[in-house]
Amino acid sequence: MRRLSSWLGRLTLVVLPVLAVVGCAEADTVSRAPNSLIRVSVKDFRIVVTPGHIPAGEAELVVTNHGPDTHELIVVRSRRSHLPVRLDGLTVDEEALHAVATVEGVAPKGVGRVRLHLAPGRYELFCNMAGHFMAGMHGNLVVG
Amino acid sequence: MPRRGDFRPFAARGRRPILAILLTFAAFSTVSVVSSISTTKRSQHRASVVEVAARQRTLAERYVKEVLLAREGARVDPRFTASILARSADALLDGGTAPPVYGDDDETKLSSATDATLRAQLGQERRLVVDLTNTGNALLANRSVARVPLTAHERLRMKDPVLRLRVLAALTSNVSLNAARTLASSTDRNINHLIVLQTVLGAAGLLASLLLGWALILATRRQTAHFRSLITSSTDLVVVLGTEGCRYVSRSVTRMVDRGEAELLGDGFEALLHSEDLAAVRSASGCGGPPEIVFRVLNTAGEWRHLEAHVTDLRQERWVRGVVLNARDVTERIKLEEQLTHQAFHDSLTGLPNRSLFRDRLDQALARAKRSGEFIAVLLIDLDGFKQVNDSLGHDAGDQLLSEVARRFKHVVRESDTVARFGGDEFALLLECVTEREVMAFAQRLLDGVAETVAIAGREISLGASIGIVLDPGSGHGEELVRDADVAMYAAKDAGRGRYEIFCPEMARKAGELLGVEHELRLGLQRGEFGLHYQPEIELATERIVGVEALLRWQSPTRGSVPPARFIPIAEATGLILLLGEFVLREACLQAAEWRRAGLVADSFVTWVNVSAKQLGNGTLGTVVRSALEAASLPPSVLGLEVTETAVVEDGIAGERARAELTKLHRLGVRIAIDDFGTGFSSLGQLRHFPIDMIKVDGSFVQGAVDDPKDAAITANLVNLAHALGLVAVAEGIESEGQLSSLQDFGCDLGQGYLFARPMPADQISELLATHRTELVDPDAAVA
Repeated sequence: MRRLSSWLGRLTLVVLPVLAVVGCAEADTVSRAPNSLIRVSVKDFRIVVTPGHIPAGEAELVVTNHGPDTHELIVVRSRRSHLPVRLDGLTVDEEALHAVATVEGVAPKGVGRVRLHLAPGRYELFCNMAGHFMAGMHGNLVVG
Repeated sequence: MPRRGDFRPFAARGRRPILAILLTFAAFSTVSVVSSISTTKRSQHRASVVEVAARQRTLAERYVKEVLLAREGARVDPRFTASILARSADALLDGGTAPPVYGDDDETKLSSATDATLRAQLGQERRLVVDLTNTGNALLANRSVARVPLTAHERLRMKDPVLRLRVLAALTSNVSLNAARTLASSTDRNINHLIVLQTVLGAAGLLASLLLGWALILATRRQTAHFRSLITSSTDLVVVLGTEGCRYVSRSVTRMVDRGEAELLGDGFEALLHSEDLAAVRSASGCGGPPEIVFRVLNTAGEWRHLEAHVTDLRQERWVRGVVLNARDVTERIKLEEQLTHQAFHDSLTGLPNRSLFRDRLDQALARAKRSGEFIAVLLIDLDGFKQVNDSLGHDAGDQLLSEVARRFKHVVRESDTVARFGGDEFALLLECVTEREVMAFAQRLLDGVAETVAIAGREISLGASIGIVLDPGSGHGEELVRDADVAMYAAKDAGRGRYEIFCPEMARKAGELLGVEHELRLGLQRGEFGLHYQPEIELATERIVGVEALLRWQSPTRGSVPPARFIPIAEATGLILLLGEFVLREACLQAAEWRRAGLVADSFVTWVNVSAKQLGNGTLGTVVRSALEAASLPPSVLGLEVTETAVVEDGIAGERARAELTKLHRLGVRIAIDDFGTGFSSLGQLRHFPIDMIKVDGSFVQGAVDDPKDAAITANLVNLAHALGLVAVAEGIESEGQLSSLQDFGCDLGQGYLFARPMPADQISELLATHRTELVDPDAAVA
């Protein structure tokens, strides 16, 4: 009996901290719940953003690839001018921009997610794989 | 149907799991090899696809350069590059041969793409190639590129045709690269799957190996336990002999000799072997053979046990290195064999060698005599009067007597001589290295030994013996010697019994004749060479025929008409008289019945038949007589049996049996007559007690009745005696009127003889009976 009670004591010492950690994690997740869900459908060679207007704050961006090719998605604040293009003339110069969020290579039929905090303003979303932006893969999002 | 738990040491227990494990191994190996080959092949193909897909990127960029250079007048052929691009795109999607790129690589054979994602990417790539090349062609032809229809859904708004071309090339390049990546990642996944599969299979194989090892160990332990239990609990004895002596003994051996295993190993086992068998065991140990040996081992009780061992040479077996003896204790069997052998060659009553062993020893003695030139002697001894002892005192007494005689014979002979009992009261003696004089002395000692009285069943009994002797220097044959001794023995019997006779060729000749006649008698009986003659019996007062005496006749095809005096003694000696007597009775009865049916004889007419002492003593006479009477439908009163007085007055069981038989027949109504009366030595007083109707006075007295007063007186007294006892008197051999007259004067009742009629065949008797019913006296017949 003594051995059993000792064993139960040790079990309590192990289990309680684990439960505490799990509980904290849950609380943290709840505190960062996105306000908006932005669905982005990408396909060769088009981007559809739904909805096109969301409130500012936390948002979750879900990118679904409906096309046959692999795509990516980069979110940048809109500028007055066109997005800068690299010297190759085929891709946007990302280094000249500040990407709010990036979803790397989403495979065909694949889904990519990212959470981001969006301040009010206009945002541009585009795929920067070689020629994709030029082929028409870009869209807009209004926040606020 | 074996049940679970049965003791089956040699069954396939444990084999099934081992087989299952091995099959699992085989299945794992097959899956492993097949999956490896399949994955490798697919990887090889995908590598080709990746190579071609990656090449498309280079070709797209090269195409753009060539178009631009061509516009500036350079000697390039963008259309060729476009065709390679298009053909490669087709081959990538639907399979086929991707064309070579000069100076770069060779043509590549591809299969149709099967993966849906890949097919979608390659389809897009093909559309982009079309858009690219169409745009390039428009540019080369100085046509408006904006009007080139786009099939890959791209929305190109730029005005610059070159940029438009480059964007399309970039899209083509990009999608080709992505297709290659998809394929590569698919290959990676397959390889990862293969790695996982091989890992799982490897782990399963390891587990199966452990299981297999475990199962094998279990099976081996089980089998070992079975064999150990078989050997330790078996009554068979197992010994392994090696160069250094005994290497192993089973528990049954240690139990039998009550020694520890350590004591028996090495030289310990040999110390218990019989010295005579040591060589055989050592030979088997040294040579590995012969396959079977028998040897003796001293057991705890100090008995020599016979072991029959199967020898197995396992000297070359690494784990044995010796000769294995699998032995069984066959002591009881050998004892039984010895007992049976003794019984087969010895007489159970006296323990003496029997005829077979005697013959064997005789053959050996003959061989020795032939080498040494010394004489051997065979003595055949038949006890005289033994039958009477057996009959009168019983078989137990007879057996005691035979045992005593055997003991005396053994006492007389030398150690090297052989005394044997052939059966009944017949003994044989084999003497080696003897002279005739010594043999005679031996024979005399045997006779003296037999003659000494023996107390059996409260009576003092003295026997005689008839001994036949044959001497031989080793030139004869065993069978012949015994036969010759037999002949000599019968000669001794004929010579008066209680003596010995040494064989001489004359005896053989006589015996041969006897055997010849016996054979012919048997044949004659089968061939119907025997017949009956009848001699009438006359009532002397009236001279009427009142009966006939049936007399046997033999008409031999080789010897002619053989007189009864020649063949009856032989028939008596050989026992054929029984068959002949039965024949006579049957024939006489049938003939008498025929005469009665023909009305030739009166109801009181008697047919007389002679019966021998052997028939009387045989015990079957009553049956034979009744059978003959029934067969002929005759009343018993018309049959008469003539017996000799010696047969009736004989002592012992045979005599008693004869008298009882005659009494029964007499009560039945059969007539009884004493034949040749006056010639025997019977006590006249005994006649009163015998069932007799008639006495027949011997012809020798009758024929002297006229001239010899003594014969006349004897004849007259015999007739008177018969009348005094109330019997009928018959005179035999009446040949003259004077004899007839004398007999009539003596008051003799009946007579027979040549004066009246000779013995004659039945048909002549029939005629005689028909013509001379009342009077028969024929002076002419008497003269003839």
